[in-house]
Amino acid sequence: MRQYETGFVLSPALSEEETSELVRQLAEIVAQKKGHMVKQDVWGKRRLAFPVKRFQEGVYVFFTYEGAGDVSAELERRFKQTDAVIRFMTVLKDPRDLARRKKKRRSEEAARAGEPAAPDAAAPAEVKEEK
Amino acid sequence: MPRDDRPERGERSERGGYRKYFAPKRKFCRFCQRDIRGIDYKAVEILKKYIPDRGRITPRRITGTCAFHQRKLALAIKRARLMALLPYVED
Repeated sequence: MRQYETGFVLSPALSEEETSELVRQLAEIVAQKKGHMVKQDVWGKRRLAFPVKRFQEGVYVFFTYEGAGDVSAELERRFKQTDAVIRFMTVLKDPRDLARRKKKRRSEEAARAGEPAAPDAAAPAEVKEEK
Repeated sequence: MPRDDRPERGERSERGGYRKYFAPKRKFCRFCQRDIRGIDYKAVEILKKYIPDRGRITPRRITGTCAFHQRKLALAIKRARLMALLPYVED
């Protein structure tokens, strides 16, 4: 299973209900294709750096999910069919970045756990005395 | 990964006007400093610092970013441009 991140920009012409409905539909696709949604991020309306399809603003939405390649393929097929999607991009999350960050955090935790561990031997005895 | 194996500033050539008297301020990679691995294209505020005025990516000889992070940075900026988060050109 690989982790992907798909970002897309929706037309600002949609109403809020239409936007949330569309996001919900697209999130369902991930579930349908047996993907696991890790994070769903809706930035809301944001000014574009340059006009896209004559729109000056867009609604940014980002999905982070785990799954096989057919999840992103299906999402992108839907994006192409839907006129309301003005930009989209799927990025493969670098597993090395995730692994390293985890490893680093673990080593940090180990260091943190290691430091108080030494005087910890005396500490529990004190706690017991307090009780 | 900060590089400390560079020769001392004192060993530089004696030619050149002001360089003789003012040692240039030592540049360093700001991503290494914070120990950041990957650069996310969604972090627009960080990326913006590397695309002044015209919207061009600042070369690393100016910013001091290390080669590893400059590659990540360039990719992140290009991705952000595709998503219309950053401009391709600005005038």
